[in-house]
Amino acid sequence: MTEPSRLNLAQFGSATLSEDGCATCGDVAVPVQVVEVRGCEAVVEDRLGQRVVVAVDFVPDVRAGEILLVHMGVAIGRALGGVWSDEIRR
Amino acid sequence: MKYVDEFRNPELIRKTADEIRRWVDPDRHYRIMEVCGGHTFSIYRFGLQNLLPDNIELVHGPGCPVCVLPMGRMDEGLAIAEQPHVIFAAFGDVMRVPGRRGSPLELRAKGADVRMVYSPLDALKLALDHPDRQVVFFAIGFETTAPSTALTLLRARDLDVRNFTVFSNHVLILPAIRAILDSPDMRIDGFIGPGHVSTVIGARPYEFVAREYGKPVVISGFEPLDLLQSILMLIKQLREGRSEVENQYTRAVPWEGNRRALEAIAEVFEVRPFFEWRGLGFISQSALKLREDFAPWDAEVRYGVQGISVTDPKAAQCGEVLKGVLKPHQCKLFGKECTPEHPVGALMVSSEGACAAYYHHVYLRQAAGE
Repeated sequence: MTEPSRLNLAQFGSATLSEDGCATCGDVAVPVQVVEVRGCEAVVEDRLGQRVVVAVDFVPDVRAGEILLVHMGVAIGRALGGVWSDEIRR
Repeated sequence: MKYVDEFRNPELIRKTADEIRRWVDPDRHYRIMEVCGGHTFSIYRFGLQNLLPDNIELVHGPGCPVCVLPMGRMDEGLAIAEQPHVIFAAFGDVMRVPGRRGSPLELRAKGADVRMVYSPLDALKLALDHPDRQVVFFAIGFETTAPSTALTLLRARDLDVRNFTVFSNHVLILPAIRAILDSPDMRIDGFIGPGHVSTVIGARPYEFVAREYGKPVVISGFEPLDLLQSILMLIKQLREGRSEVENQYTRAVPWEGNRRALEAIAEVFEVRPFFEWRGLGFISQSALKLREDFAPWDAEVRYGVQGISVTDPKAAQCGEVLKGVLKPHQCKLFGKECTPEHPVGALMVSSEGACAAYYHHVYLRQAAGE
C-alpha cells in the first residue's frame, strides 16, 4: 500500500484495528482502506497494515481503495470529501 | 506519529488556541459539554483544558455506555451467564464492569463460560460453531454500535439460528442530551456533539437543541485540532448570539447520516418507554429493545428478565460526576477505594470513563510530579 493512502487514513484519527480503547464509550470507528470486496463483506486494512474482514452492508457499492469507518466489525460509513477547514489553515 | 501530524500540529494548535482567546468574552463563564467519552479521553490525553482560557469550562457528559449502564442490568446479564449451557459473549469493554456479585471476568473465574468478542457477528459465529449451546450476546452502546447488533440479528433471522439471543442495553444519545438540558442543576452553554454516533444518525437530529433550547451544537472529530476548532466554532456562535448545529467533522459525518444503518436499526429495534441510566435516573424513550418480530432472539424474552433496579454503592458519587456537578477527583472514593485496577463505580472502568481518563492522564502525572 502506498504512503499517501495511509496519510488519508490518518485524517480520520489514530485508532487501529488492534488499538481502539473502549470502542463503545469512545465512539470509536477505525479508518480502514478497502483491499477487496466479497459480496457483503470486504477485506480491509488499517494504517498499520493489519487486515480483517468486515461487513459492508451499510456502505452500498463499496469499491477497493475506498476509505471506510469500521465499528465492531461493521462499516458504518465512508470517508467524505471535506478534510480540513480552510479557516484554520489561514 | 507522522500520520496524525496535521491534527496535532503544534503551530496550528497554538493558532487555534489564540483564536479562541481572541473570540472569548472575558466577562462571562462558558460551560461546554463534550457528550462523548472519546472526546473526554482526548481532552485529558492531550491536556486541552490547559490551552483554553480559564473561563471556558469543559464538562464531561454521559457519553460512555459502560459508565451509564445501571448495576441492575449487569446483574441480570450475569444471572443469564450463570445458567448451564449458556455462552455469555460481550465486548472487552464490559468485562470488568462490576455487578453486585462481581464482574463478567470474576464470574468466568468461578466457572461461567464468558467470552470476549470484537463484534456481535463473532458472537453469532460462536452460536453457529456451538449448536448445542445457547449464546447470549450482551449488547451495549450508542447509535454507533446499534447498527452492528441490528445487522447481526438480521443475519441470525435469515440463517434461522435458534441458539443465539441478544440482551440489548443499547441507549440513545438524543434523549440523554434532552435530559441534561431539562435538568435544573445543569447550566450548559453549548455542546460538542459526538463524532461517529453522528456518522450513523447525521447532524440533523440535533437541531432541537438549537431550536428548542437555544444552545449551539458542533459535531466534532477526535484529534486535538478537531476539538479546539469545535470549541472555537461554539465560542463564535455564542459570541454572535447564534444557536445552530454545525458540523466540524465533515470528513466523516454526512448531514443525513447513514440511511441503510438507520433502516436496519428501525427494522430490528423499537424504543423502550423508559430506561435507567446510571447517574441520570430513568429517561423516557432513551433505549432500544428488540421488536416483537425478533422475540426468538431476545434474551429478555427467553430468560424472563424482570428489570430490577439496584442502588449504586452509596459512597460512590458517579451520578454527580456524570452530570458534571463534581470533577472526578472530588469524589470521596477517587484514587482510594476506587481505582482502574479495582473500580467501585463504572466511570473508573472504561478507559473513556471520566474518572479513569482523569486518573491516567492527570492524577498519575501529578502524583509523579510531572
